Amino acid sequence: MKASDDYAIVTHNVTKTYTSKIRSPERRTSFFQRKRTVTAVDHLNLKIRKGELFGLLGRNGAGKTTLVKLLCTLLPPDEGTASVNGFDVVKQQMQVKRSIGTIFSVGERGFFWRLTGYGNLEFYASIYNVPRSGRRDRIMNVLDLIGMKDNAFQVFQRYSGGMKRKLALARALLPDPPILLLDEPTTGLDVVSSRSIRDFIRNDLSKKAGKTVLYTTHYIEEAAQICDKIAILQKGRLIALNTPDALKNMVKKSEVLDVIVKNMSPEQVNTLKGVDGVASLAADVQDAVLGQTHLRLRLENVDALPGILDFFFKEKIKIVNFKQEEPTLEDAFIELTGRGISE
Amino acid sequence: MTLLQELDKIYFFMKRDILSFSTYKTNILLSVLSALFGALSYAFLGSNAQMQSVLNSYHISFTTYLLIGIAFNTYLSQSLTLVQKTINPWSLEEVLVSPTGLVTFIVGSSMWGFIWSTLVIAIYLAVGVFAFGVVLSVNIVGTVLVVALGISTFIGFSMIGAGILILTKQGDPVTTVITIATNLFGNVLFPPQVMPQALQVISYFVPQYYFFTTIRQVLTGATLQTILPDLLILVLMCAVILPLGYFVYSWCLRTAKKNGTLSWF
Repeated sequence: MKASDDYAIVTHNVTKTYTSKIRSPERRTSFFQRKRTVTAVDHLNLKIRKGELFGLLGRNGAGKTTLVKLLCTLLPPDEGTASVNGFDVVKQQMQVKRSIGTIFSVGERGFFWRLTGYGNLEFYASIYNVPRSGRRDRIMNVLDLIGMKDNAFQVFQRYSGGMKRKLALARALLPDPPILLLDEPTTGLDVVSSRSIRDFIRNDLSKKAGKTVLYTTHYIEEAAQICDKIAILQKGRLIALNTPDALKNMVKKSEVLDVIVKNMSPEQVNTLKGVDGVASLAADVQDAVLGQTHLRLRLENVDALPGILDFFFKEKIKIVNFKQEEPTLEDAFIELTGRGISE
Repeated sequence: MTLLQELDKIYFFMKRDILSFSTYKTNILLSVLSALFGALSYAFLGSNAQMQSVLNSYHISFTTYLLIGIAFNTYLSQSLTLVQKTINPWSLEEVLVSPTGLVTFIVGSSMWGFIWSTLVIAIYLAVGVFAFGVVLSVNIVGTVLVVALGISTFIGFSMIGAGILILTKQGDPVTTVITIATNLFGNVLFPPQVMPQALQVISYFVPQYYFFTTIRQVLTGATLQTILPDLLILVLMCAVILPLGYFVYSWCLRTAKKNGTLSWF
């Protein structure tokens, strides 16, 4: 399969199934196991344009990491085809590898903890074919780009979580690849570090350098802020693909309520879902100690509002905070998947 | 905090380890086998009265025999696990997404291990020569040739073991079987001639026997012509085991990639 010149990544009916062993709870050891098959990526068709910052959004287990591994040649697809930079991920693995830089969801993996940041990058520069003559300059340039030049000769194990992630980004950038596959690059980082990495990806890598970025995340607002286009995956299937604004517009015509309530049971949440006029509802624990639940309700129209308030009154549920809002990408996500991303 | 609570915790620590341990079934079997065969090797070394008379046919002292055996066994043991050491699941994936070939990866990852092993052997031999009066008369060409063949053969074994380890995650039967075969039939600590006839025959089918027989000869002055028959058998074994190892390793790697278990522990 040859991709059109406009596209950096193309998948056609790509499918990947895993078989895993499950231990029976009544048995004491793993000698007694049965098999379970899970389709991680299910007949997925995607086209990502060159220079696009493409977000892949989905809950844990939606198939995001599996797709990244398929595209970087670590997993062969069971069915379908995929190409990266015009090269087939099964038949032209070496060309695919020369076209990509990858960050896996655990950022510090593959680093040698007793070497310095520079020492680690020097090793990876060699295996990524960065020419020996310009290697030092390239490493220092990349470290400068991510703001870690001053920490270049510090031992890796002394780096903070944010610095380790940045170094993983630097490693992916070493060979100056046209395509970057970034699997949850900000997971586990504090707000400041996450923002700094996001800004760098949006402004430096995407806008200035024109790189194609596939960015997987389960942080909805993160995807909404930086991505040109977003695909939503659920159980390995593509359920939506559009720009963040277009996805928000899917639910624009409806009303959204953001409510914090006290002492609401899961049964009451389920009952609320069935109240007339409630199009979708996502609930998560706001404060376990105070017994507060955060509800995000999308109403079919504003006429449903009295019925909702009546429900809270009858069920003796205390409203702590109540806001009427514009629909967000999260509302689109709830609309499409039936649940919030953290549920 | 009661004694009962603490005992309960100890029980769950133990249960955690047993459950984890029981998932590595191959490893359990191999540990038992290693213990059994290890005991056999030392029994042969310690109890056989024929040892000195057999050694007379080697024209070297028992100290020289043992020193060369132990020194080069360290070398081969290192070679046997070199490829396994490179397959840390986390760094393996990082290397496999880079444009680096499998041969470069294996050779590159093994290089320092060989250099270090060579230094260790030099220390062994120096101690033997200077502290125990061991006399060596090294045939340099012969030594390089035999060592190269030995290493290549063991890299082959190592690749087979590493390949299986990629699939089983802990405990590869190849490394255990090779270690047992080396200790029992490899002419490392005692000549196979001190074993019962039926067991002696097995020695002639393991490359370690030819490696240790020839390395002792070239280190004590034998010419290439003298060792030629054993050397040819070693060449033949190497020509089979090395490519077989590469084939098994790449097949296991492909299988783990297909199953999505490459980064599992």
